[in-house]
Amino acid sequence: MKLFGIFFAAFLINNILLIRFIALCAFFGVSTKVGTSVGMSFAVIFVMTISSAVSWLIYYFILVPFNLEFLRTAVFIMTIASLVQLEELYLKKMIPNLYRAMGIYLPLITTNCAILAVAFLAIDYKYNFLESMIYSLGVSAGYALAIILFAYVRERMAAAPIPRWFQGYPIAFITAALMSLAFLGFSGMFGL
Amino acid sequence: MLILISILVLGVMGLVFAGLLGFAADYFRVEEDPRVGQLLAVLPGGNCGACGFAGCRDFSEKLILGEAGVGGCTAGGAKVGEAIAAIMGVQAAAFDRKIATVHCGAKIDQRKPKAHYTGIQTCFAVNMVDGGGLACSYGCLGNGDCHAACPFDAIRMEEGLPLIDPEKCTACGNCVTACPRKIISIRPQDFPVVVACSSRDAGAVVRKICPVGCIGCKICVKQVPEVFAVSDNLAVVDYTKTGVSCDAAIEKCPTKCIVRL
Repeated sequence: MKLFGIFFAAFLINNILLIRFIALCAFFGVSTKVGTSVGMSFAVIFVMTISSAVSWLIYYFILVPFNLEFLRTAVFIMTIASLVQLEELYLKKMIPNLYRAMGIYLPLITTNCAILAVAFLAIDYKYNFLESMIYSLGVSAGYALAIILFAYVRERMAAAPIPRWFQGYPIAFITAALMSLAFLGFSGMFGL
Repeated sequence: MLILISILVLGVMGLVFAGLLGFAADYFRVEEDPRVGQLLAVLPGGNCGACGFAGCRDFSEKLILGEAGVGGCTAGGAKVGEAIAAIMGVQAAAFDRKIATVHCGAKIDQRKPKAHYTGIQTCFAVNMVDGGGLACSYGCLGNGDCHAACPFDAIRMEEGLPLIDPEKCTACGNCVTACPRKIISIRPQDFPVVVACSSRDAGAVVRKICPVGCIGCKICVKQVPEVFAVSDNLAVVDYTKTGVSCDAAIEKCPTKCIVRL
């Protein structure tokens, strides 16, 4: 039940994009088409789960024994950057179809703040390994939900008559704010 | 002491990661045919997809596997075809240039209205509400989705109809996909005869709503049976029959919907 709570809180109630406003750059950048946002979502789910597992292990088995917790920003950035590179190389050789589907999004994710945020938050919340895995799954699923919904809205808006001053990013930000208001309605569910 | 440990830990981790990446780059190396790079250099690089593959890179990989023809790049034309053939070491086949064609000839004042439409002014939106104010359920809506979709600036809208510039058109097919009514097609350029109508309505219906629509009378079939055929109340041209004169059919067509471009 606790695991479900962690997943659900990360998925909807503290949705990383619409409630926490983390990783907005990619949220606005790749949400113009549903197809690309689906590709981006899967890449985020894949990278976030692996990188939060690795950074959890590094934190508790390297940084804590040496009393180096203050170095976590530098260490996590280094870890995530090399991990994404490694995943890219691995996919290119072993699963070329998957690489073709999400290869172009992987370098984008290297510097995605959501990945780093999840690694930090899982440690701030003092989650154990399993809990932090569930947490990162929840966050990335919430990321996918938000960006895909948003892409559908933006596809519809592309055909709509929008005043000239609102075209492009202004209307996208207004829409994102309205969606975020809607997501606020989830707060308080299950006492979370 | 703490500073030393930090430097040591960070340094060791950096070395480990660097070693891992170096090892992986070697271990997971993908052997790529050097011709892929050469082909990419000569292809237009627009990733328009007119060849039927997912972008220029996919097309060049398929070329090397022999699954794509050297003349497959319609956007690049004969020049790119020759360059591809040179890289692949084969003789370039005669490149038949293709061009987009609009199958509707009704100018804006010839179209019969059936309602007053005030909604979103794109063909895509108008088509979703049953053609907006247009009585013909097959004809051009005239809001220029094809014009907006053309990456080569080859389409301009004149009297509510898209006009295709044969010099600029590369037959990439973006307008074909953009048109919600599917009235644009790709034809060989050296066959300049076109049925400028897409209506599959019965002749009596067409006569009521459009002065230049195809009524399916089959006069063209009687005049030039090699080239023309009528199916679903609509005349169609067989583009493989080059060298047959279509003048008789063009002249006899009662609604003048068969045109020479």
